Amino acid sequence: MNTLISLTDNLRTFWSYTGFYNAEPGHLVMILIGLVFIYLAITKEYEPLLLIPIGFGILVGNIPFNEAANLQVGIYEEGSVLNILYQGVVQGWYPPLIFLGIGAMTDFSALIANPKLILIGAAAQFGIFGAYIIALQLGFAPNEAGAIGIIGGADGPTAIFTTSKLAPHLLGAVAISAYSYMALVPVIQPPFMRLLTTQKERVIKMKTPRVVSQTEKILFPIMGMLLTTFLVPSGLPLLGMLFFGNLLKESGVTRRLAETARGPLIDTITILLGFTVGASTQATTFLRVESVKVFAIGALSFVIATCTGILFVKFLNLFLSNEKKINPLIGNSGVSAVPDSARISQTIGLEYDPANYLLMHAMGPNVAGVIGSAVAAGILLGFLY
Amino acid sequence: MMTPIFEKALLIAAIGMTGIFLFMAVFYLLILLLDRLMPYREEKPDEENIVEFETEEDEEEK
Repeated sequence: MNTLISLTDNLRTFWSYTGFYNAEPGHLVMILIGLVFIYLAITKEYEPLLLIPIGFGILVGNIPFNEAANLQVGIYEEGSVLNILYQGVVQGWYPPLIFLGIGAMTDFSALIANPKLILIGAAAQFGIFGAYIIALQLGFAPNEAGAIGIIGGADGPTAIFTTSKLAPHLLGAVAISAYSYMALVPVIQPPFMRLLTTQKERVIKMKTPRVVSQTEKILFPIMGMLLTTFLVPSGLPLLGMLFFGNLLKESGVTRRLAETARGPLIDTITILLGFTVGASTQATTFLRVESVKVFAIGALSFVIATCTGILFVKFLNLFLSNEKKINPLIGNSGVSAVPDSARISQTIGLEYDPANYLLMHAMGPNVAGVIGSAVAAGILLGFLY
Repeated sequence: MMTPIFEKALLIAAIGMTGIFLFMAVFYLLILLLDRLMPYREEKPDEENIVEFETEEDEEEK
């Protein structure tokens, strides 16, 4: 009889440790969200390299367990494996490493060949500051508003880096929002591109960019880094690594380092970053009204960035001669979702003129957007950190 | 009605956007300078180093 009672007690204790016992509706909602991310990544191929790690991370982060038992498995439990991996996000050292890889895979030729395109990358940053003002109006504190505003830069690593400094408690919501909307760029941008352009503007053919010398390509990251250091020192962790990676690529003598930075290194960090950001979205910390607000403002910031990029091109065209006019369909590329937004310019451009290839032109504002959002992050950190 | 926080937000946004445009304008000038100092020159093959090989067809012609 005693044995039976003991067995029952043990089973009861075991049951209290299971996920089934500890599950709450919030866990199930988050697991469903994780599954949607994985579904979108596999069936729609929306940013699968990001959405699969994030989606699976959401599943892992929302497995219910007995927190009082001190199992050392949760991402917020100090000393757990997940917590150690999460330090790269919290301390902000994953994003600069991602930027190193991005630098090593970015070709700045399009920008160097037609430098006025860099201004489009600046105009699209209105998304960041527009979202910042909206977030303040909705009751967020200035530092939280800065973290939310950076979603408009359409740059996951920059958003994570800035939020880890300004409002770490919003990290999950901001990161998930930024990456979700980056994945949804092909859905968000086209309607506004069509709405804000005329038939005549959509078929503008731009001149083939000039050839860029290797010396220019080598000097660009060195001078760019120095310029960044002196003008916006707070943007240095991101931009310093971006230009360092680019120098590894362009110098021609560090091919192995460049290949490591744009291959195994960026892949490893992407896995760790995506997975831990996903796992950080535990139902108790993520399912709040403020997360919904973050998502809503994030969507608005993407729209503002897209629209201001396009409208700025139209404004620039007022001052350009006919042969130098810029097709406004590349204005959306000022948001730094590389290369997705540039691909959208190409796709929409081809719809209206099958012989008008805009990709090489759109890559200019696209890489300028990366620089612009990192500068904006530096400015926000300078004011609000 | 403009609250002090909103006024400060507008100020930060204005300074931020001006800062970004100034930064990009300096970048723009930097690129123009690079182009001026180091214009692209098409690499021409060094005539002294060109070695002419005789093909089988040349030999047949002979």
